[in-house]
Amino acid sequence: MSLKDILLPFKAWANVAKEPVSLKNPMREGAPRYRGFHKNDIETCIGCGTCEAICENEAIVMVPVEGVAGVETKSGDSGLRPLIDYGRCCWCGLCVDICTTQSLTMSNEHTWVVTDPEELKFIPGVDKKTWDNNELGWKKPAPNYHFYGQERVSMGELHAEERGDSFIEFVKGYSKEQAQLEADRCVECGICTATCPAHMGIPEYIKAVRNNDMEEGLRVLYATNPLPEICGRICTHKCEDVCSVGQQGEALSIRWLKRYIADQIPSEKYHEILDTQNIYKGDKKIALIGAGPASLSAAYYLSLMGHNCTIYEKLEKAGGMMRYGIPSYRLPYDQIDKDINYIESLGVQFVYNTNVDAAKLMELNKTHDVVYIGTGLHLGRSTGIPGSDHEHVFQSIDLLRKITQGEEIMVPEKVVVIGGGNVAMDITRSMVRLQKAKYGKVHVLATSLESEDIMPADREEVVEAREEGAIIDPGWGPKSIEIVDEKIKGLHVYKCLSIFDENRRFSPKFDTEDKKFFEADMVIESIGQGMDISYLSEELKSKLTFDPRGRLTVNKNFQSSLPWLFVGGDMVQGPDVIHGIANGHKAAIGIDYYLNSKK
Amino acid sequence: MSLFHIESDRSKYPQPGDDGKLVVDLDSHKYVKLWQGPNHPGVTGNMAIELTLAGDEIVQAKTHVGYLHRGFEKLIERRLFLQGMQTSIRMCVAEPDTNEYVYCQCVEELSGIEIPEMAKWIRTLVLEMSRLQSFLRVVPGQGGTTGLGIGVQWGMYMRELILDRFEELTGGRIYHMYFTPGGVRGLLPQGFKKRMEENLKEIDDFIIRIDDLMYSNAVFKKRTVDVAVINPSWVDKYGIVGPVARSAGFNRDVRKDYPYLIYDQLDFEPKVMNHSDIYNRSRIRWYELQQSVDLIRQIMARMPENGDFKAPTPNVLHWEIPKGEAYVRAESSRGEYGLYMVTDGSTKPRRVNLRGPSYTQAVCLLEDMLVGANIADVHSIMVSLQTCPPEIER
Amino acid sequence: MKNLINKLSKVYELSDVVYQRPNFTYATTTKENTISLITQLRDLEGFSHFVLLSCVDWIEDNLFQLTYILNNPTQKYDIAIRCMIDRNEAAMTSAHYLWEQIATYQRELKEMYGIEFPGSPRLNENFILEGWDNIPPMRRDFDTKKYSEETFFPRERPSSNDPATYMKSRLHPDEWDGKIAE
Repeated sequence: MSLKDILLPFKAWANVAKEPVSLKNPMREGAPRYRGFHKNDIETCIGCGTCEAICENEAIVMVPVEGVAGVETKSGDSGLRPLIDYGRCCWCGLCVDICTTQSLTMSNEHTWVVTDPEELKFIPGVDKKTWDNNELGWKKPAPNYHFYGQERVSMGELHAEERGDSFIEFVKGYSKEQAQLEADRCVECGICTATCPAHMGIPEYIKAVRNNDMEEGLRVLYATNPLPEICGRICTHKCEDVCSVGQQGEALSIRWLKRYIADQIPSEKYHEILDTQNIYKGDKKIALIGAGPASLSAAYYLSLMGHNCTIYEKLEKAGGMMRYGIPSYRLPYDQIDKDINYIESLGVQFVYNTNVDAAKLMELNKTHDVVYIGTGLHLGRSTGIPGSDHEHVFQSIDLLRKITQGEEIMVPEKVVVIGGGNVAMDITRSMVRLQKAKYGKVHVLATSLESEDIMPADREEVVEAREEGAIIDPGWGPKSIEIVDEKIKGLHVYKCLSIFDENRRFSPKFDTEDKKFFEADMVIESIGQGMDISYLSEELKSKLTFDPRGRLTVNKNFQSSLPWLFVGGDMVQGPDVIHGIANGHKAAIGIDYYLNSKK
Repeated sequence: MSLFHIESDRSKYPQPGDDGKLVVDLDSHKYVKLWQGPNHPGVTGNMAIELTLAGDEIVQAKTHVGYLHRGFEKLIERRLFLQGMQTSIRMCVAEPDTNEYVYCQCVEELSGIEIPEMAKWIRTLVLEMSRLQSFLRVVPGQGGTTGLGIGVQWGMYMRELILDRFEELTGGRIYHMYFTPGGVRGLLPQGFKKRMEENLKEIDDFIIRIDDLMYSNAVFKKRTVDVAVINPSWVDKYGIVGPVARSAGFNRDVRKDYPYLIYDQLDFEPKVMNHSDIYNRSRIRWYELQQSVDLIRQIMARMPENGDFKAPTPNVLHWEIPKGEAYVRAESSRGEYGLYMVTDGSTKPRRVNLRGPSYTQAVCLLEDMLVGANIADVHSIMVSLQTCPPEIER
Repeated sequence: MKNLINKLSKVYELSDVVYQRPNFTYATTTKENTISLITQLRDLEGFSHFVLLSCVDWIEDNLFQLTYILNNPTQKYDIAIRCMIDRNEAAMTSAHYLWEQIATYQRELKEMYGIEFPGSPRLNENFILEGWDNIPPMRRDFDTKKYSEETFFPRERPSSNDPATYMKSRLHPDEWDGKIAE
């Protein structure tokens, strides 16, 4: 110890002359990244509840906020919004980081004085707060910062060159690793469930894929959908359009995962897994007309309820549009057979090559308790433009059926397809394959009224058609078909400006100055289909009711105004397979209810 | 020793029994029982020492904890791997980043994730900042226990400066929640290094001032030199780690011995001393305070400007980690700080066990060290061991 | 490290050896061998620093796993010795004489898991809990949430809605699931 030790500490007195460092106003602003009070852009938020799932303190609950501008329960938006309880929150910001839409953020505000702790529960964005417009605060740190996979596991496909000339299925399906990786991306929000017409348990079967429990997966599938092999390939997957994972990255491949489950299980094991070895059969008899998805679905569920079902089909095999409309490179016939054979094995009778006319219908009415019609839309609609009555102007639906039936069809060197829907793409790509096999080169052009961005066909259909060599030139209205010496020369079109008028009614407007000519030897019309209800006699028709679009009106059990007559499928909803499956299932429940209440 | 030293009559004090420990007969009315804590300005956090005094000398001490127990280890067993981190940090209030690191590293080791280079640099920076802010509290805090309050105020201001930088970088002042399994949650903001350097300059100045104020202070020396000496043979016996072990002559530093993150690329040498009294234990922290400042400068000068800062992880909502166990340690300002995690293949950890330096140092070591000490030195001794009760009761 | 494990395997029944890191090894031994093994590691193999004594509850196997982590500060490597003990009559030989802090660990394990360590000093004194009247709280079958809801005054949590169920009820209110109406 020295004199220095006694004197040196007194240097601290130098601080007397310094400015104090304490803040005059302690209510300072938080740093730009500060994790302060929450903000939510309620119009971007879709109420998926992922924030609730990740919140470790259970501080977030999803509550309905109907009636607030920008929030509405609709397809892809649950109408729920997160309510945050600041009595539980720890401001870790994981809810912000995981938010599927990035609508949830935090402001840098950190002062909120209340006397009642209950006030600390609030719905950001709905309950207006002073910090709602603070720009600063915690946000998702970087575009490539994620808590779940953003990119789809790519699906093995045949290359365009390989698949271009054959009708072999070109989507290879997932391997186990790929399927589990893809299933891992699911956030289990359930936004997809209500959007799926059949309300399939999508998060549940994806979970089954993750856990590699295929049997459970199959049970989940069959609870709402008796055609999983088919749907797993050609469903219009409305679920993927609303998938919350797709908000930032690529939507989950829900359809391929469904196919993966069904592909894993051989048909022999279905009875055991689904517990349908012994099903009770009662005395009620139901006739179903048309072996399309709606009738198959209705017959499946009715069989499980113990009713005897007979399906009457005009053609030689079951499946309807799925077999005769969809080309086999998308949906191979053996997969259709797998699903249908299982339904048949439950005791459903199939009567093929039987055309039901008015007399037959009345006969069926007498011999059965209920008649269900699901004859779908199988009459092609014509554009009616000059020249469309030429013999080389075809309906896509007829051609597709003939291809399936193995009949020879005309395959000229130049083909024009009118239409922008999935059926138009199907015939385009089928013609591509036939041309390639016959000539080794492709000249198929598809045109549609709708411009590229609003084409009704699935996006991948358009992309794949182009990959295979077809030309897709949308946004043109057909004017006339030029015929010289009884032979088709091509199609005149002019630019389509808009399709609907201000009342959303179909009323296309054209720019007659902007013209084009597509050379063709053959024109295929694919602008939609109509139904054929010639089997309904005038007497019956007078007892039935129709809506302005000509569709039969039914109640929510899909029962027409004649109690014994139920209707389903594309005739009332859709058109697509999944709607048919869904309303077939609903009709089955309706029929069961009707039969039980009749007693 | 000094002129005024009077040899007291030891016959009235308790005598050692057969096992070498003092025999204290409480019914003899010769002793006073005194509780220091659970609320006491000399302790960080809440713990109590039950003291038995003969005069002003301690003849028996017992550590009592449990005032803070929130069962975090148990709570983490109910949380997803991502969520557990936000809970684990609360096991040490004063230096939460070490918790973040050991937790995330355990998860990464068990699931086989390699974090990006950039994340390693940022993590090291954050860990050193965290050590720095902890030293800024405990170095002058040692003076505070002897009544030298002015240093504490300086230190607190310096610490606030570092907390400002933490706020800017991580979005939080105390609980940063900035690491995440797979990396970190953001890059350095614009101008961060410049502002950090300004703060480090002020801390440089503080280091000199605190040297003059404390370590060249006759009173402070009188109170700390040769008080509560730790015998080197105790280090292994009691599981002593960190600055306390280094002051007793053991060159043990997790950053050097088991290099993690990018510590092997940094240039530093652990400071070792040979006589572990309160003065030297505090002094060694003062050296490490300088070392931390130096390391932060090194990291900021050498770290990459940009890059990926988070490795992809499986979907955190159902992230399952296969069965396994891992023990990960890091050097906190108090020494070896480890986390033992056991997984069972589910989405949640089976067991998480934290090993903090205070677990041994503030229970069995402190209880034995206090015997024979003067009552006025109790909190000096506690602070010199850098006691942190939350890591005892977790 | 492997040499050491091979050497020890000759004497003690080591199983489930995991070389987790180049300087970190896990091994399981029998309950009877554990204490003599760690004594040998401490006295003969230079594992002078005791890091951690921990317990894992494998309730489905009716076992407790005790993990003793030892560190060799000169060679700079660690070994973790696991041993399985019966969960119903949980007891283990005390190792309090090897390192001072082990008594504290054992006191905590007694309190949190109910494992007996006969002969360990102050084993039955309260460590963290005071007046605890339930099963040892770190056991897996102790439900923290239920306990806290029964014991304390939980803050009321508004009921939450599952998006899937809520959307179905809003968008398809008259559908068949739930009820069928005429």
